[in-house]
Amino acid sequence: MEITQALITAAGESQRRLPLQTLVDRDGTPKTALQILIEEVLQAGIEEIVIVVTPGDIPAFTQAAGAFAPRLRFVEQSHPLGYGHAVWSARESLGNAPFLLLVGDHLYVSSASDRCAKQLISVARSESCAVSAVQATHESKLPLYGAVGGRLEAGRRGLYQVSEILEKPSPTEAEQRLIVPGLRAGHYLCFFGMHVLPPAIITLLGEEIAAANGKWKVHLTNSLAKLAGRERYLALELQGRRYDIGLKYGLLTAQLALALSGKDRDEVLTGLADMLARRDS
Amino acid sequence: MKTPDLVRIITATDPNVRDTPLESVLSDCSSAALVAACEQLETFRSESENLYERARALFFLAAIHRFHLPAKLASEPDASKGLIPFHGYEQLLQRRFSEAIDTFRSQQNADGPTDGVSSALAAAYQRLAFQTLADQVRRSVRSVRGNQWMFRMGHPEDHPLRIKAELLQRGPDGTYPILREQTPVRMDLTHSAWSDIFFLGMDFPEGARVINVSVDLGVVGRGDTPKPPVSAWLRVLDEPVLRLTSVDLGATADLTSLSEVFDFAKDYLGLLKAAIIAAGIVPPGVEGSGQELSTLLARMVGVGRGLEIVSAVNNIPKGSRLAVSTNLLGSLISVCMRATGQAASLTGPLLESERRMVLARALLGEWLGGSGGGWQDSGGVWPGMKLIEGVRASEDDPEHGVSRGRLMPRHTVLGHDEISAETRAKLQNSLVVVHGGMAQNVGPILEMVTEKYLLRSAREWSGRKEALGILEDVLAALRRGDIKALGEVTTRNFRGPIQTIIPWATNFYTEQLIQKASKAFGEDFWGFWMLGGMSGGGMGFIVAPERKKEAQEQLQIIMSQTKRELQHALPFAMEPVVFNYSINENGTFAELIEGEQALMPPGYYSLTVPSLVKQDRHSLPVCRRAELDKLASAARLNPDFGGTVQSLFDALLPRSQSGASGRTSLEALLHANGFDSAQHEEIRADLKEGRIGLAQNRLRASTRIEDVLDSDVTDATRWFNSQTDSKLESIGIESIKRGEVAVVTLAAGAGSRWTQGAGVCKALHPFCKFGGKHRTFIELHLAKSRSIGRRYQTSVPHVFTTSYLTHAPIAEFLASVRNYDYDGSVALSQGRNVGLRMVPTVRDLRFMWEEMPQQTLDEQQQKVRESLRGALSSWAATQGEASDYTDNLPLQCMHPVGHFFELPNLFRNGVLAQLLRERPTLKTLLLHNIDTCGVNVDPTLLGHHLTSGKCLNFEVIERRLEDRGGGLARVNAQPRIVEGLAMPREEDEFGLRFYNTMSTWIDLDGLLALCGLSREDILSGGEARITTAIRELAGRLPTYVTLKEVKKRWGHGQEDVFPVTQFEKLWSDLSALPELESGFIVVPRVRGQQLKDPAQLDGWLRDGSAEWVESMCEWL
Repeated sequence: MEITQALITAAGESQRRLPLQTLVDRDGTPKTALQILIEEVLQAGIEEIVIVVTPGDIPAFTQAAGAFAPRLRFVEQSHPLGYGHAVWSARESLGNAPFLLLVGDHLYVSSASDRCAKQLISVARSESCAVSAVQATHESKLPLYGAVGGRLEAGRRGLYQVSEILEKPSPTEAEQRLIVPGLRAGHYLCFFGMHVLPPAIITLLGEEIAAANGKWKVHLTNSLAKLAGRERYLALELQGRRYDIGLKYGLLTAQLALALSGKDRDEVLTGLADMLARRDS
Repeated sequence: MKTPDLVRIITATDPNVRDTPLESVLSDCSSAALVAACEQLETFRSESENLYERARALFFLAAIHRFHLPAKLASEPDASKGLIPFHGYEQLLQRRFSEAIDTFRSQQNADGPTDGVSSALAAAYQRLAFQTLADQVRRSVRSVRGNQWMFRMGHPEDHPLRIKAELLQRGPDGTYPILREQTPVRMDLTHSAWSDIFFLGMDFPEGARVINVSVDLGVVGRGDTPKPPVSAWLRVLDEPVLRLTSVDLGATADLTSLSEVFDFAKDYLGLLKAAIIAAGIVPPGVEGSGQELSTLLARMVGVGRGLEIVSAVNNIPKGSRLAVSTNLLGSLISVCMRATGQAASLTGPLLESERRMVLARALLGEWLGGSGGGWQDSGGVWPGMKLIEGVRASEDDPEHGVSRGRLMPRHTVLGHDEISAETRAKLQNSLVVVHGGMAQNVGPILEMVTEKYLLRSAREWSGRKEALGILEDVLAALRRGDIKALGEVTTRNFRGPIQTIIPWATNFYTEQLIQKASKAFGEDFWGFWMLGGMSGGGMGFIVAPERKKEAQEQLQIIMSQTKRELQHALPFAMEPVVFNYSINENGTFAELIEGEQALMPPGYYSLTVPSLVKQDRHSLPVCRRAELDKLASAARLNPDFGGTVQSLFDALLPRSQSGASGRTSLEALLHANGFDSAQHEEIRADLKEGRIGLAQNRLRASTRIEDVLDSDVTDATRWFNSQTDSKLESIGIESIKRGEVAVVTLAAGAGSRWTQGAGVCKALHPFCKFGGKHRTFIELHLAKSRSIGRRYQTSVPHVFTTSYLTHAPIAEFLASVRNYDYDGSVALSQGRNVGLRMVPTVRDLRFMWEEMPQQTLDEQQQKVRESLRGALSSWAATQGEASDYTDNLPLQCMHPVGHFFELPNLFRNGVLAQLLRERPTLKTLLLHNIDTCGVNVDPTLLGHHLTSGKCLNFEVIERRLEDRGGGLARVNAQPRIVEGLAMPREEDEFGLRFYNTMSTWIDLDGLLALCGLSREDILSGGEARITTAIRELAGRLPTYVTLKEVKKRWGHGQEDVFPVTQFEKLWSDLSALPELESGFIVVPRVRGQQLKDPAQLDGWLRDGSAEWVESMCEWL
């Protein structure tokens, strides 16, 4: 499966300003979160990038993209009708081809030589099917994420055949439906905010949107669950971490993660140690 | 004799072998073969890894030591009489069952098998068996998927639940919406023959099947139309507390710390707390974490916010056998799960997977709260009619390889295509559901059934199989829509399998109701239907539809009338009621109430508003003020809130007249029954100063307590083993023929243990069926005396001593049955002494809980008990230690002052004088307790008494583990009976082989002489002289302080039990008087056994005691 395009969603009420925040990247250069994300995509070998934004936000995002701005195509989500609706809004730009989907309020720090998006794209290409990046997550974080249940693909470390997908499940539901052999007790495979999806997802989203008829918000999860029922769908545990910059201290944590895995690691560590040593209490 | 191979039966895969009844294999075994079989089983049970093999081996061992070995030993004249090691008893109390078994077995190896050690081993094996089964149920409850995470979560910051956004949306007036869950209760159409006990479903899932119907209820006569009887209400609060209210129990509390949530017995909110924990709002894993409840609430509901949860039961009394409390627990769990996103839908019915989760959580909640129900009890959560079945454990189940069946049963809702709407309507038109008013503890029955099934006792096992056929018949009748046939089947079930398995499932009251209903409705009475573990509470009567309304009215009259007739004989908790009911086709169902409608149930406001109106209106939170405004409006406009203003007034200005009149009648009663207020004040002062109390009851620590020598007793057991002493027998017979003997039965007691403090008259309790009829204790004793009298062509006068509690009921009852047409004279000797109970001192409560041996309960129940003890200590302190206990019915506040006085009362009240006039030859009295069923005027024993030259001859029996409360001892080298209260050390009792039965042969002239009286004094009736003589004698006996448990009833069948202080003087202390010669006779257990607890009845029936007793009776 050839994947040549990426979709970044940034139209959510609470996430519209997040990609515009500035952080210092691993290479010591100040960049906006959007720029860091775009680099993640480009390094995975994808050249076409579509960004879904709230109407009126294009100038701010163009500015935040800096030198990458000419590579971007913007789509405005006409009404805030949910994440699924945001993805569906980009249907015309995406055409009938698979795409890499990322959320604009997450940053990724890989612990392997390949960056996170590249690891995902590589598996999707070789397996020729939908793949969602997942991370084993403690059950206390279940109210924040979608989660999947499934079983390990024979002989493939970190790669799972998805059988069940639930949006922000309660632990009760997760324990009954999302147990994955091999995970530690109380841990579930939660979405990483990064997927490779086939064009069929747009059709499924279209059905959901028609059914909702504007009465409720359309999430991506339901359509993903339907997709899993129709075709082969994998989940990949990436070697890396995701950082939700929309959480309390999320931006700070992401910044620290970037700094501690980059060239200024020693400087930042020294600063932290100094700060701790001087702490009064 | 070959040792029977019991291990083969346990491990057999062939059901024909596996279901072999134990008794059929052991009937011909010698005691040596039984001991050898026990050794094999002991090795097997300690090595087997399979739960049910272990449990069955344990039950086999318990049964052999309880029934088979003692019977063999009793028939072997040379069997030794051994001691039970105290250390083993202590281990047993501490629930160290395996160690206790080792200790008892060592003793058995040293002394050879003895009746006493076998009784201890039987108890240890039985408790270990139940513990093993209970542990497995608990493990299964924890391991159910969906429950596990709650045990992992240890810190509020990790809490994975969030309140649903809809519940945080305030209305325009600032109030939050209310989520209301309404849940039906369940009826079991098949009774199930108790196969819904978890252990049994897990042992034999194929046999665990019930047809369970969800019903709405209303009480006839209170204008209630049927509606879901239980409801749970939840809303968000603007305070970081958990506010819990039980409208039905009238309790409310704000919980601010996690430890309060786990304090189950502190108040009446235990069920709500269990629900909150089991629903994961406060997961069990955070218990003892030292964290703050407010942190947890902030994480789940929002900073500064809390939750309010309210439970309400719609006038359904306790003991209805409709699983009200389990379904209320289910309702509470359901509302909590919905509110925290653990159900797909906030409102409406639940999905099947969610209902199953509510069931799993209800099991967890029942375990946490220390209670337990059957697996079908949450049936109200499901809609309409359903088949609930045990399921074989498969590889995916945590029970696989451990038990044959799964913990969680399977529910199949029976659709209208299977049981038509017309049939359902027909059932409703023919079935009259009632609550007979009795509320009894079914716990012992459930244990009996479990044991019998696991032993595969022949009768019971075939009964169980027959019950399975009954289920098919019920189902067939329902499918056909034939309600008359259904009535026939449910009656057959009640008469057949149910009573084959547990004879105690019926009682005299129930039989009377059936008989009267049958008479009133003739052919139109289609059948009786037993609900739940025991009859007398919830029951059903099936009648022709055209007579249903009439039947409802008639049954109310029949029940009320029969209750009045039997109220002194049986423990009634409430006035009987008849229900309206309808089948609920929704199951549990929730609605979100918003805006003007967002009010809690009316009863909630009677509880909460009084404290709110005392506060400055402006200090109330905005939403509270808005809620009060809504309430004011609803009180005017909403019919459901019609009586709110009146009930608020009642709550704000409680009427005190009833309390005052209660006090007056207590004083009048005390006065009328010879209450000695000066003595009472002395006792109070002594109690407060610590001069008397539980600790002071004991003999000095330096007292030497030793077992008696063989020469101190006469072993009469041989006379009952066909080695009769014809010389003594003929002396006895001649004495009987000369009219020299009379029987005095002590019937003054209320049978505290028998009815757990319910205050009925034990003598009148129709406790057991003999000759096909329920017989009272009085009838039994008269039947034995009748038999003796007729055998020797005379009659034996019979005296029943009574008290203020029992005199009038016994007199009235004996008159109504014409003394059971007894041949001789029957007299009542009314007690002349009474005491007023007092609130205990905290010192005595502590002594009882800390210094006296206590059964340690399992972990969760122990927590509940400790919390209850804390509450009782503060109750005693706030009420005032040693203050008068008056907060109960007057009769429950008074107490008899010990059985010492009962015989001397005969001297005072003219009964002895009357006897002497009637029988001038009277020489010997046989005194015994009302519950010593096996005692009679045995000629040989009488002959022995007459030739012994002793004034008093006390009958004693070889001690078993359960025989607590003193015994026969050498005290400083002097043989006498020592009361348990007086034992300097607990362990002293375990050095004594013999236990006092209270049965005493009395030389009348000797006893009169002891008091300085003569026959002439009695006949001349000089009461002042007699009274002085008795007081002087009493003064030489010790006064014991005791704590008794007294029930206080309230609400609809609710009961609280309080320990209260009373004092007493005891008959057997006469044996300590040096100038009185006392003898001691060892008699067989069947003769001396006392029935103190209904749980003993089944064993008493099974070990042949009942048969032996019946053989001595002559019924009319």
